[in-house]
Amino acid sequence: MTRGMQQMTRSLLALVLVVLISTTLFAAGVSESGAGPTKITLTIAGRDGAYGDSLQLAADEYQKLHPEVSFEILKLSGASLFEKTVIDLRSKTGTYDLILIDDPNAPQYQEVGWLADLGAMYTKKGLSVDADFIKPALDLGRYPYNEKGKLYALPFAGNVELFAYRTDLFAKYGFGEPATWTELLEAVKVIDAKEPGVDGVVFRGTKGNPIVTAFMPIFWAFGGKVLDDSGRVTINSEAGLKSLKYFLEMSKYAPEGTVMYQSAQVRDALYAGTAAVAPEVWPGWIGDLENPSVSHVVGKVKVTKHPGEVVKSSPMIGAWLIAIPESSKQKDAAFDFLLHLTGSEMQLAMSDAYGLPPSRSSVYEVESQRQKYPWYDAQHDALLNSVARPRSVKWKEIEDILGGVLQVALMGNISAESALASVEKSINEVLK
Amino acid sequence: MQRNSAFRRNSFYYILITPAVLLMVWLTVYPVLDVLVLSFYDYNYITDVRKFAGLKNFQQILSSELFRDSFVNTLIFSLAATLIEVGLGLALALAFDGEFFGKRHFMTVVIFPMMLSTMVVSAVWKTLYHQDIGLLNSILKQLSLKPVGWLIDPSRALSSIIIVDIWQWTPFTFIMLQASLQSIPREIFEAAQIDGARYPQIVFRITIPILLGQILLIAMLRTIDTFKLFGKVYALTQGGPGNATETLSTFIYREGFSYFNLGRAATASLLTLVIVSLISLFYIKKLVQEEGPNG
Repeated sequence: MTRGMQQMTRSLLALVLVVLISTTLFAAGVSESGAGPTKITLTIAGRDGAYGDSLQLAADEYQKLHPEVSFEILKLSGASLFEKTVIDLRSKTGTYDLILIDDPNAPQYQEVGWLADLGAMYTKKGLSVDADFIKPALDLGRYPYNEKGKLYALPFAGNVELFAYRTDLFAKYGFGEPATWTELLEAVKVIDAKEPGVDGVVFRGTKGNPIVTAFMPIFWAFGGKVLDDSGRVTINSEAGLKSLKYFLEMSKYAPEGTVMYQSAQVRDALYAGTAAVAPEVWPGWIGDLENPSVSHVVGKVKVTKHPGEVVKSSPMIGAWLIAIPESSKQKDAAFDFLLHLTGSEMQLAMSDAYGLPPSRSSVYEVESQRQKYPWYDAQHDALLNSVARPRSVKWKEIEDILGGVLQVALMGNISAESALASVEKSINEVLK
Repeated sequence: MQRNSAFRRNSFYYILITPAVLLMVWLTVYPVLDVLVLSFYDYNYITDVRKFAGLKNFQQILSSELFRDSFVNTLIFSLAATLIEVGLGLALALAFDGEFFGKRHFMTVVIFPMMLSTMVVSAVWKTLYHQDIGLLNSILKQLSLKPVGWLIDPSRALSSIIIVDIWQWTPFTFIMLQASLQSIPREIFEAAQIDGARYPQIVFRITIPILLGQILLIAMLRTIDTFKLFGKVYALTQGGPGNATETLSTFIYREGFSYFNLGRAATASLLTLVIVSLISLFYIKKLVQEEGPNG
């Protein structure tokens, strides 16, 4: 081959390479042409279980009205949802158009400006947030966490911690519905001693979130606070000590192995009738309580809000919020779906189909739902009187510290005084 | 002069392997250097705030009771699981050496546990270990013995996880050592038998010395793998009860993916890397000694 021909061959090869690369690079940008509305796909990072099924239902209904919109719904575990959404929102890739957020995690997303301002989106559409949303649940989506805070998320599931007890056993031993934790403990002691095969109480003792969730309604009812309004650590107080001593006393009437109990064990004990009281139940656990094919305690368990003590009943709210990432490239379409998802019609449908706890008051007043879920009045009442966990970006670490020490105290390896002192010290380190 | 001409002769091959070497360096050395640098910073991934912290992360982690418990638990788990798996694997290899009826089917069944994913294995054992309805406690109750808190007793939880790992990975050591045994010329054993050697003498004076290199290699691989314990703890105990089953991996995971404190997670990762490297160096030294000057 002559030098000239070599040169020509090289130039030709280079040209072919450039054309190939250009075609590959720009091929993705070629849009389908055609008449009709633009097809879009909304990607939702959601939860698994009933939450995921509810999202799917809402998506399917929305698609009937808007066939040009399709959905990709990721149904993830709580931990996986948090990890994936943090990584995506931090990198601003805009993968997700809507995300579900566990309410204690909301401050972390809100503080760094990862979420779209829903208040502004409402205004842009000439709409306003309606008063049917249950206020404590709605407020969780505000940042700062006060009346004037901007709205960054809406409540998707009005999840709230409830209290369940065996009405038949309480009546048998001469006890009425406990108004205070002190009254409750009296009943627990008697039933545990006298009723064969029944433990006085059952709760989650696994360290971290499970045991903290079991403890907090007691802690708050005794007047305890983890952090005061200025963010100072106040857990190691007289109220805190009384509540922890109460908790440890109550735990003496719990089954062996409570230190490792998760929701499955609590649910099993409740349904099997081997526990008189479950001071922590969530709506997702009690869907089949009146189902005779699953429950041995049909008509014998009352689900209500927690007793009070020094302070009135303090059920812990655990709402799941739905938000639009600021990095979403389809915010308007996402907002339209958001309104549909949190509207009263869909909230009723999701409640009816999957027992999703509604976040709107009107749904709790629908007779069919009150028949199907006899605890709905109590659930609504609990939501209206609920207490949120401290709105701190460090709540995860605080909860793990508290949960670890609570479990050690539950095992009897540390006194209540030492436990609270240890927790106070560790939380101060984290907040430094 | 000779070196230059050798380099020139081989330069074409050096050029050919350079891309692969660069890729390997980028994929292995660079991340380690990045982690090393990050360990000196207070860095939260969510807020993207990065502050130079000097040795603060190291001080905090080394003085943390949770980290110390995690390290001790990991060490105990690694040592116990490795020793038992290698010992048991060797015993099984010796017991099932040679041909026997149904050997192929037997080998297929034996390797089942290691083919299952960690999550499946953990789910199965979680049921077996259940305090009230688990098979193990049911058997104990049948024998009028007290049920055991396999996963709820802080003094037993780590041992219970060790048992699960042994069940899953002894087949690995077994088949590796079995293959090594098969490669030993039979004439050596025949000669020993002719000389009047008894079976224990053959095992301890001939078989094990010949296999020592492979035994050390398998032990090193199992040590490195057991040091990374995470899945079984995550599925079975979540690190509890208390800190009884916390491990270095769960500690790093919590710092890195729960709290997104990447500085602290990097520090813990670096400390773990150093420990594992020291252990690996010990094995490699032994292996090199075992191979002798002729390799």
